[in-house]
Amino acid sequence: MNHWMIFPILLPAVVAPLIVLAIRNDIVLARIFSIGCSVALLMVGGYQFGLASDGVIRTYAIGNWSPPFGIVLVLDRLSATMLLLTAVIGLFVLLYSITGWDNRGRHFHPLFQFQLMGLNGAFLTGDLFNLFVFFEVLLIASYGLMVHGGGGATRIRAGIQYVVMNLTGSSLFLIAIALIYSATGTLNMADLSRKIHETPAATQAILSVGGALLFIVFALKSALFPLHLWLPGTYANAPGPAAALFSIMTKVGVYSIVRLFTLSSVGLEWVLPAALATLMIGSIGVLASRSLGQQASFATLASMGTLFVAISGSNSMALSAGLYYLIHSTLCVAGIFLIVDLVIVKRPGFGDALVESPKFPYQGIIACMFFAFAVALSGVPPLSGFIGKILVLKSTQGFPNWHWIWLILFVTSFVGLVGMARSGSLLFWKCNTTQLDVALFDSNNPSPQVNSIPSPVASSIVLQSVAIGCFFALIAMLSVFASPVSVFMKETAEQLYDSQKYVDSVLGKDK
Amino acid sequence: MIGYAVLFGFAAISIALLMNLWRLAMGPTVLDRVLAGDTMVVNMIALIILYGVQRNTTLYFESALLLAMFSFISTIAYCRFLLRGDIIE
Amino acid sequence: MSIALIVLLPLLGAVFPALMMRLGKNESAIAASSVTILSLVLLLTNIFAISQSTVPQASWPWVPQIDLNASFFVDGLGLLFAVMILGIGLLVTVYARFYLSPQEALGRFFAYLLLFQGAMLGVVLSNNILLLIVFWELTSLSSFLLIGFKSDSQEGRQGARMALAVTAGGGLALLAGMLLLGQVAGSFELTEILKEGEKIRSSPYYLSILALVLIGCFTKSAQFPFHFWLPHAMAAPTPVSAYLHSATMVKAGIFLMLRLWPVLAGTQTWFYVVAGTGVITMLIAAVIALFRDDLKSILAYSTISHLGIMTMLVGFGSEMAVVACVFHVINHAIFKAALFMNAGIVDHETGTRDISRLGGLASLMPISAITATLAAASMVGVPPMNGFLSKEMMLEEVTHATAIGVAWLLPGLVMLASVFSVAYSLRFLLYTYFGPVRNDYPAKPHDPSRGLWLPPACLVVLAILIGLFPEAWAGSITRLASDAALQSKSPKFHLSLWHGWTPALMMSIFAFGCGATALSLYVPVRSIWNKALLPDAKGLYDLSLNACVRLARITTDRSFNGSLHRMLFLFVLAASALGGVVFARSSYERGERELLPINTSMFVGWVLVIVACFVLAWKHQSRLIALLTVNIVGLISSIAFIYLSAPDLALTQIAVEVVTLILMLLALHFLPKEAINEVISWRQYRDIVLSVAVGASVGFLCWAMMTHDFQSISSYYIQHSKPLGGGANVVNVILVDFRGFDTFGEITVIGIAAMAIYAMLDGMLTGPLSATLLKWTSGLRFSPNRHPMMMVVVTRVMLPLAILVACYIFLRGHNLPGGGFIAALVVSIALIMQYMASGFAWADERVHFDYHALIGGGGLIAAITGIGSIVLGKPFLTSGFKYVDFPFIGKVELASVSAFDLGVFLTVVGGVMLALANLSNLGRMTGDGKQ
Repeated sequence: MNHWMIFPILLPAVVAPLIVLAIRNDIVLARIFSIGCSVALLMVGGYQFGLASDGVIRTYAIGNWSPPFGIVLVLDRLSATMLLLTAVIGLFVLLYSITGWDNRGRHFHPLFQFQLMGLNGAFLTGDLFNLFVFFEVLLIASYGLMVHGGGGATRIRAGIQYVVMNLTGSSLFLIAIALIYSATGTLNMADLSRKIHETPAATQAILSVGGALLFIVFALKSALFPLHLWLPGTYANAPGPAAALFSIMTKVGVYSIVRLFTLSSVGLEWVLPAALATLMIGSIGVLASRSLGQQASFATLASMGTLFVAISGSNSMALSAGLYYLIHSTLCVAGIFLIVDLVIVKRPGFGDALVESPKFPYQGIIACMFFAFAVALSGVPPLSGFIGKILVLKSTQGFPNWHWIWLILFVTSFVGLVGMARSGSLLFWKCNTTQLDVALFDSNNPSPQVNSIPSPVASSIVLQSVAIGCFFALIAMLSVFASPVSVFMKETAEQLYDSQKYVDSVLGKDK
Repeated sequence: MIGYAVLFGFAAISIALLMNLWRLAMGPTVLDRVLAGDTMVVNMIALIILYGVQRNTTLYFESALLLAMFSFISTIAYCRFLLRGDIIE
Repeated sequence: MSIALIVLLPLLGAVFPALMMRLGKNESAIAASSVTILSLVLLLTNIFAISQSTVPQASWPWVPQIDLNASFFVDGLGLLFAVMILGIGLLVTVYARFYLSPQEALGRFFAYLLLFQGAMLGVVLSNNILLLIVFWELTSLSSFLLIGFKSDSQEGRQGARMALAVTAGGGLALLAGMLLLGQVAGSFELTEILKEGEKIRSSPYYLSILALVLIGCFTKSAQFPFHFWLPHAMAAPTPVSAYLHSATMVKAGIFLMLRLWPVLAGTQTWFYVVAGTGVITMLIAAVIALFRDDLKSILAYSTISHLGIMTMLVGFGSEMAVVACVFHVINHAIFKAALFMNAGIVDHETGTRDISRLGGLASLMPISAITATLAAASMVGVPPMNGFLSKEMMLEEVTHATAIGVAWLLPGLVMLASVFSVAYSLRFLLYTYFGPVRNDYPAKPHDPSRGLWLPPACLVVLAILIGLFPEAWAGSITRLASDAALQSKSPKFHLSLWHGWTPALMMSIFAFGCGATALSLYVPVRSIWNKALLPDAKGLYDLSLNACVRLARITTDRSFNGSLHRMLFLFVLAASALGGVVFARSSYERGERELLPINTSMFVGWVLVIVACFVLAWKHQSRLIALLTVNIVGLISSIAFIYLSAPDLALTQIAVEVVTLILMLLALHFLPKEAINEVISWRQYRDIVLSVAVGASVGFLCWAMMTHDFQSISSYYIQHSKPLGGGANVVNVILVDFRGFDTFGEITVIGIAAMAIYAMLDGMLTGPLSATLLKWTSGLRFSPNRHPMMMVVVTRVMLPLAILVACYIFLRGHNLPGGGFIAALVVSIALIMQYMASGFAWADERVHFDYHALIGGGGLIAAITGIGSIVLGKPFLTSGFKYVDFPFIGKVELASVSAFDLGVFLTVVGGVMLALANLSNLGRMTGDGKQ
């Protein structure tokens, strides 16, 4: 029995209550524990990634109850990848937020760790109801993070919309689980995969409706058209680090869809129109945005569209392209939201609004970072966005109407690029020096006005840059080592489509 | 014999519940409705006890106990809300 | 290896000048030029191999999955372009060192320049066509940065964005074309593709490939109708214009057409599209150039015109035309770079580039005047300059070409363009340097320092040398490059000044005469031009882009209007639509299960639920009544749980109802007591229809679920609860043992929710919303009696009783209905009673523990119980139980799950109390509370 498998869930589940219990009033200690936990999660994630790459599907029966009766954790290539990705995002976002974000409200670190626990749980569990539980964990924690540090009425309103939509989704999740249980009598995913084909004709429809409703729930989480309306408002109004962490949350929906629909061997070809619509709406939004945060949110939406285009291919090649793109888009989105936050912090009075402003401190370095991430996000060479896009393009060639898909992918790429170029040049190039004295914002010359601004305008941005730089380094590595990564993704996709192996590994061959 | 008594009890409580319902729906004031709700709970407690008697089990009595213990809290909460706005001051 | 290094050196070396800038401008420039020189030396080591007709190659796999490999090769064509890129790059570096003012970030400039240099080298040396695209787009990006280098100028920003949009957009088309091309050819390596000409030309995708590749080439090389970005790119500092926008980057399109000539050229489509575009571009740009006043703008249009010449030559499809094109590429790069540098000098020294404010500079700036004259002579095509030679070759080829069966059409158009070309060249030269000396120059002109005039002078010397000794100076490289472009031995040719009285020479002389005449009529022609209504490409571009943005904004604002109602509507619609479709498409039969007889009380309960729901819908405007009816529904649910033999659920439901009600009332205090009375509209009818449909479907699904028998895992739980789980109450054993992990998650949820509420309220009280909140009053009149005596007494009595009940429920939970969760709710309600009766302050004073600690402690206890089993070598949360004989008490079951249940208990108490206490605390802070 390999107890490491429980650690991604257990570590934050122990550290977070510990912070609440003992050190909730000492921010330094909370930071140390939180960072320590995230580092440990990264190490465990790396270890498990190494374990899973041999292609063996490992299981961990919680409470020693054998599946399908107890809850079982399952570690395969996809879970390991998602765990590692979560750990990476978690650590770097945390690194960014200890520069001051975490101290703007209460309980940042416990909520953050609980969020990681929810994410890791969702990626590891092999049980449908347990998946629901972890969805709840990460939803409630993310809601806490979303309204962290107060914020104006817009943030609270966006937060309410977010929580209402997601709670509605959760209710539907329960209904779907009930339907599926009533048709199959089980909650274990592997067992479900087996029972699906044994369902009598009389209840086939109940099972199918259950599956369809589950899809709707996950599509809501991943903001697929027409369930996309909540995303831009939520992301654009969430605190930067929270939005950066959310980049992995939309992927939970995608992960669940991939997991359940490969297990049940149901094709997803019919998702394509919705995926393309999402992509187009996203890129139109990128062009239309009035603030950088909004633009990043719409870019996220567009990337979700691209991701779904790949997934709708419903074969291992398309899926592996999608998984590569998933990693790329998660890293990119996380980085860009940190940059948006940096802009807000350093541009007092103007925030991330796309309007002319005086020069602001660290403009050059922030511009550099934005340029790099915009290049990656819009899929321009040489970064992983380009490679991911080509992978997706190639994977769609089997479609009967691939010309149209290509056309949309290229046009949206172009529109996204134009939108990003507009906002970047407006934000970082078009600066009037006349309105305000530049010296006012000079870090070497802190004047009284600077001190009166609540955000630490004049503080250094070393740690923030390091965090964002780490994301960029990962994107660069993803580009340079695109080949091994995509080989791994290919193996992952093949493992996913070999649902019999999954079933056998979880339930044993003899049954 | 006890069977008939229980049946009679069920019938009486059912009629009472329907009358409560009438008051709940028709009002006319909010207070009438709160009281209707409260009376409804009392009838429910009776219903649970009767059901336990009928099924010859004590398993459901805790439910009746809890209802009896806490339903008045709900009524108080409503009243405080109407009287003071803030129920915990 | 060395070939890849040629490309990588400038890319990696781009950081050096930026770093060296700390030492000074010279150090930075030296760093930049050493990188260039090093790269050039590496390149030249390959010359011997190439002249032996071998093609040095280097290749590493990058992403073989998409056929993207880091493979490079250098043949004649690549060599020619690479030499140009590096040679002119070196001169531009020197020039820029002296051109840019001390205030400008020279280090950053050189970094961008080297970045561009590397990218451009990559374009010409890539063997893999996807790698070529990578570098192609990199040139667009670095050009974007260089054009926008003077970021505080409006023109710079706009020009940069436009250049990026056009060239990178074209790059996307090119990418599509290349993907198709690679697929058709069966390889993405140029060395392989170039052998597959027949296969490609006969493929059904030929036209798509051709169209997409040409869009890429035409946008990059500023061919009509994509030519408009280039003049606006002139907002870049002059060294950039000299380098990118005349000598190198704009030739990338020409390069690619030459490169793919063996596979794409030779068809009628190719001829008409490419040659046609070339001629039109050549003519239009030459005409416009005549009427520009900005020196750089004139040169920009002249560049477009010359790119048109090259495009036309490629389009002819004859081998000799390719040779002419290659030769003209060399010559144009030399004289145009020199002219741009010269224009920069004029700008630098006089402070203006406006030709109407210049003139008579020849006597003030003799050296610059000489270089300008010679370079301009080359541009016009006057012997013995190099431009003359390639122009003659071009005209020679034109006379052989026939379009639409009309022999004179092409020569005629080219003649016309030549006339204009002569006119604008002369105007450029005469109006700047000759004529009377003026005294109103913005600055006092004099010859610049050596650093500025030497680079263009070098180029001019080269131009003369090629003109005088073409075979010696350019013959072999032209041959090498042509051979490579044609992928076969090029036709025999001899470069020389004198070919005899050929028709080409006649045409040249005629054009020169006409051009000179036209210039003498400049003033009247100009006034006609000024009056003519001409479409402004930039205006059109801006207009359409702005229209797009406005349209995007309208659609985005319309769809993302922040309406929660719309989001929910779409969600419900999507769910019911997908569910409906899926249901209709799968098989279903009526359930077989026998229905239970109905009983009077349950019937009444059923009526109660339905009527309560109707009352809710009818009276929902009054939020209090809505709450009350929801409460009734909850009550009936708990009765239903009892009726369906689920006493645990009934207990939970009863307790949860109370807690929820208190929570809702606390929140309702801050909300309007009446909801807004909406106007009945079609939207409401739509919503009614949808909700009735959804309600009916869910009802039907429930019916379907309950009327079918199914095999489930629950029998296992019933069977093994006592022997393996040690508890007779299956529900509790499921909660704390079989599926204890779910419970672990759910108590976490409760804890998180309470903490989130606490954090949010804390944030609201300290954040920007606090002012509003603290001033808030409900505006209603309330009873003066805060804490009625009666209530205080009753709740005090209730507290110990309730705690006793909670202990009882907690302890017996494992075997009979109950458990930690219900017990926790009971305790919470008992505590809340105290808060309600005596007020927050009174109760808070008497609570000697922090609810945070309860949440944290509870979570830890639950987790540690689970970890205990790991320590014992069993999986997380493995339970154990043992019957122990205690003296006096008797046999007692000790189970690890009791500890887990204790964790549940603590967390739930902490969670519920933290949430409720803080919400009630908020009420105290507001205007009402402080009275």
